[in-house]
Amino acid sequence: MTKKIALTIFISTLLLSYGTVVAETEKTAAAETLSVDEIVNKTNRVAYYLGIDGSARVKMTITDSQDRQRNRELTILRWDQPNPDLSKEEQSEDDGYCGGQKTYAFFHRPADVSKTVFLVWKYLDKDDDRWMYLPALDLVKRISSTDKRTSFVGSNFFYEDVSGRNINDDVHELIEITDDYFVLKNTPKNPKLVEFAYFKIWIHRQSFIVVKTDYYDKNNKKYRTFEALNVETIQGHPTVTKAKMTDLRTGGHTVAEYSNIKYDVGIPESIFTERYLRKPARKYLK
Amino acid sequence: MNFKQAITGFSIRHYKAVAAAVVMTTVTVMLLAAVPSIWPETFSAFNSIKIDTDPENMLPRDEPVRVFHNQMKKELSLYDMVVVGIVNETHRDGVFNPETLANIYELTEFAKTLHWTEEGREVGVVEVDLIAPSTVDNIEQSGPGVVKFEWLMSQPPQTREQALAVRQKAQRIPFLNGTLVSEDGKAICIYIPLTDKHLSYRVYSELQKKTATLSGSEAYHITGLPVAEDTFGVEMFMQMAISAPTAMVVIFLLMLLFFRKLVVVISPMIVAMVSVILTMGALIIAGFPVHIMSSMIPIFIMPIAVLDSIHIISEFFELYQQTKDRRQTMLKVMDELFVPMLYTSLTSAAGFASLALTPIPPVQVFGVFVAMGVMVAWLLTVIFIPAYIMFVKPQTLERFGAVHIPDQAAHTTLMGRLLHRMGVGTYRWAKPILAVTAIVIVAAFYGISKININDNPVKWFNQSHPIRIADKVLNDHFGGTYMAYLALSAVDEEFVSKDFINDFNQQAQKQADGLKEDWPQAATVFTEIQTMTTASLKNVQSRQEAFERLSGLVDEKLDQASDDRADAWDEASLFVDQQYQRNQVFKDPAVLAYQTQLQQALLETQIVGKSNSLADIISTVHRELFEGADDQYRIPDSSNAVAQCMITYQSGHRAGDLWHFVTPDYRKSSIWAQLTSGDNRDMTKVVKAIDKFIAENPPPVPLKYEWFGLNYINIVWQDKMTTGMLQAFTGSFLVVFLMMTILFRSALWGLLSMIPLTITIAAIYGAVGFVGKDYDMPVAVLSSMALGLAVDFAIHFLARSREMYASFGSWEKTVPVIFAEPALAITRNVIVIAVGFLPLLLAPLTPYNTVGTLLASILLVSGVATLLILPSLVRVLEKRLFADKKVLGASCNCVTCSVSSITMVALIAITLHQYTTAGWGKLTWFSVIAIPVLAMSCGLLSRRGKCKILNEKEVIGND
Repeated sequence: MTKKIALTIFISTLLLSYGTVVAETEKTAAAETLSVDEIVNKTNRVAYYLGIDGSARVKMTITDSQDRQRNRELTILRWDQPNPDLSKEEQSEDDGYCGGQKTYAFFHRPADVSKTVFLVWKYLDKDDDRWMYLPALDLVKRISSTDKRTSFVGSNFFYEDVSGRNINDDVHELIEITDDYFVLKNTPKNPKLVEFAYFKIWIHRQSFIVVKTDYYDKNNKKYRTFEALNVETIQGHPTVTKAKMTDLRTGGHTVAEYSNIKYDVGIPESIFTERYLRKPARKYLK
Repeated sequence: MNFKQAITGFSIRHYKAVAAAVVMTTVTVMLLAAVPSIWPETFSAFNSIKIDTDPENMLPRDEPVRVFHNQMKKELSLYDMVVVGIVNETHRDGVFNPETLANIYELTEFAKTLHWTEEGREVGVVEVDLIAPSTVDNIEQSGPGVVKFEWLMSQPPQTREQALAVRQKAQRIPFLNGTLVSEDGKAICIYIPLTDKHLSYRVYSELQKKTATLSGSEAYHITGLPVAEDTFGVEMFMQMAISAPTAMVVIFLLMLLFFRKLVVVISPMIVAMVSVILTMGALIIAGFPVHIMSSMIPIFIMPIAVLDSIHIISEFFELYQQTKDRRQTMLKVMDELFVPMLYTSLTSAAGFASLALTPIPPVQVFGVFVAMGVMVAWLLTVIFIPAYIMFVKPQTLERFGAVHIPDQAAHTTLMGRLLHRMGVGTYRWAKPILAVTAIVIVAAFYGISKININDNPVKWFNQSHPIRIADKVLNDHFGGTYMAYLALSAVDEEFVSKDFINDFNQQAQKQADGLKEDWPQAATVFTEIQTMTTASLKNVQSRQEAFERLSGLVDEKLDQASDDRADAWDEASLFVDQQYQRNQVFKDPAVLAYQTQLQQALLETQIVGKSNSLADIISTVHRELFEGADDQYRIPDSSNAVAQCMITYQSGHRAGDLWHFVTPDYRKSSIWAQLTSGDNRDMTKVVKAIDKFIAENPPPVPLKYEWFGLNYINIVWQDKMTTGMLQAFTGSFLVVFLMMTILFRSALWGLLSMIPLTITIAAIYGAVGFVGKDYDMPVAVLSSMALGLAVDFAIHFLARSREMYASFGSWEKTVPVIFAEPALAITRNVIVIAVGFLPLLLAPLTPYNTVGTLLASILLVSGVATLLILPSLVRVLEKRLFADKKVLGASCNCVTCSVSSITMVALIAITLHQYTTAGWGKLTWFSVIAIPVLAMSCGLLSRRGKCKILNEKEVIGND
């Protein structure tokens, strides 16, 4: 318990220091008057749509209840559908548009899955398109993705945690505003599609970073928890660089550490195609 | 006044004090045992009743097989499971109709809620590992080139087509077909894992309540080994409360029938009751758990406790009318019976105490406490019965007992007449009787050779019990509901840093050579890495440490490298990880193919109906990656391809399922075997088949194989029990023989007294072999009971014979007297106890039935053996038996002394063998030396001065 509190304070300090640096204190006052939808939109953008694109090297450490660890190392490239109303320059200044998105995840380690690639095309109005490339079988395969709440390559994160849950799938309620956080309760519109009954998120009021998410089951029992463990400002964007997902039922957890984070890289859209699964663009994967 | 007169005299004089002491002790023990059990919080300093229904505890906690079982369960996150079978025989689509599937869905949702907080820990159903249609993943084709992961049945289907689709999908997945759904589509099994198997009865009861509320044409069967074991425990205690008291009542009524005096008959009941209370009380107070074995303690103590009292009352009954004086009669009775009773009790106690030699803790506890109970019963008999008789008013006894006119009175009753005729018969037909006995023995040994050693916790319930029915129905529909696991583990090689460095550098050089032409920069990096390895890994202790250090060093280089060298260092970093993964043997296609072969060998036993393995999972994923084509159901060709199939599998809802089949280091894996039978015999066959297969087909890489799972543990303790029991029995046989030799001061007499019990045991176990009844735990334990009871009759018979022969001078004259009161007492004992335990046949638990049947048979056979064979033998051996009447000590007869010595040596050898790992080799040498030494000392001892005089007298006497 004390650990958790300490962590929260740590993150708060981090976020607060960021806030003063950018001198956006006037926003705090405005936050009081924000609508729930505005909070949700801002949060979604901060979590998944910073810059016009992005790349990062991710190291996942999967620890089970017996403290046995496995690692995954991958590079994730992201490309956002541009806002048709803005010019290219304006787009890199603006984080306000949340359209379709393409994600390319290239595996480095473990050695035997190295060069495996997952490619996702996310749409706002329909199911994603998903591909994977398995080099040892020389096989490109489409994966049906009606259900995005499956494990991301054996970690405690789900595909949906990596690519972002569509904000239109839930009903959002602002249940509490603390000194530092907005607390939202999100209830699925179609409960049959998901394993949770609802989830609560704690959103930092200055930065709109999600610091914690708790998932509850039908019996009102918390069974899954996300925590942001570290936040850094990269190219002016406060970014979660270390996060942890814990499965309270199995006692296992996964820590994802992000390094080499870059925004506005200028990754061409053409990379995010089937053709580049077999022949990855090494330039963007270092 | 000698010792026995002193005791009897004391309890007759101070009968009030004796009675008060008995009552006080009993009440104290009852309170000490009961109060902390009822209010454990308040009296935490004392032990409260602990119940242990776990057959696993037949083995000590630190027994290697248990340690391994628990370790593998932990490493592979496996749990003991409650199995709910849903069978629909009436609907045309079997269970695959919307109504049944909706009920199954509802039941699954209900099962998920069955967890509780106990002592701050979450216990109950392990939700994430629950196997049910709505909780497992389906992997299948979803249009051309598209593979799909989805819940097999995320919601109950609405239409017939949807319901049938669930069946079709599940049967495509080898892991589910024959495990979750039956091949005939009539049944579904849901597997409910528990954090602890002791919760299975609670879960079982909750599930039963729930299924009662589900309306549909399907039937629900709840089973699984943990349920069987836990339910048995609960029913066992109900039986204890019913069977033992019923037996008591029947014994009481029979005694009343024989002796017709309520007040007198009550006394043996008090002795039995108090013995049971004191023993069970002591057990609880001492903190031992009441186990399946110890729950039978009352049933064993009762007949033995009653036995001695019946002899006393029987004798009192016969003699009382001669004097009509309680004190006089009792003194006379006790004078005659004290020694035989002491010896019968000692021998019974020795028989049970010898169970402490078996390496099975609950059997040890059982043996020691029954032995204690027997001695308590003896003490009560000699102290309390005389005192009790003093409480009975002379007027009450006025018409008690047989009016005794020598030579006639004994035959006045039907039983008396029959026994008299029998006695005369044994004198006349001695040789034919012995001939028949010989035939019986030969037949018995043939029967014993056919004995089937087997046990099965499910068969502890009788045929009509819901668990037995569930067991039968589900095993008819499925590949089997009894799980055993075959663990395969890579053999850890000893880490030698020099060898490691050589091997690693060799591999690195190979890479360098290969890259020289196309990528010279990388080639230099691979040379550099070798220098680095040689320099920094010298003092490394383990492979893990070596790789941690290596990848650390390479990462450092990678970070510092200039842009043009970074790629080369990245390649080196990949190479290090590749080398690290080389020992992940369960990614090796050859090893997985070997698993498939093992599974085939399992199926060929015909006992394993279905098995699941890592190889199955990989093959299934591979098939679905290649358009679901059946010929693609195979292990891919490289370990990288295997790893990529695994990562694909882990993109499902149940990523963790992989870790039930392989550990995250890919060094240990297990195959789940589903047996259609829980018989230990069948498990043993499977184990042997795999031993043979592996001996003939060694694995492609060095692998250790070991079984675990409850089914396997059962055969381990059974093996220990069988050999342990045999040794314990041999030990107690020798102890009793030694005691008999000392009692009668003659090896011949000692041998004679062993004959009825030997024949009884041979006959009973021969019959067990003939009938085809499995030699299971209760059957095994009853050998000690047989030993204890059968020798009792022989002691009474022979002791009285010898005494009476002394006064009558010939066996012909002794026979009618022996076949009067002593034979009558034996017969009464046989009837009372045999009939008294017949109510056990009504119990719904087979071990109780077995005990009831066998107890009755043991008494009957040993009674007959004592009354027919012993007199016939005495008749034949009359000269030898009564030749030397006055031997001062066992040591004076050279033969007796030698036989005793050899017995002692054998006894020590057996005991040592039980406790030391010293094989028979060393012990044989020990015996070879010890026996001649002892024989020589026997020879010397028998030539002592005091013996010489006696022998001379004898010679003169014989003249």
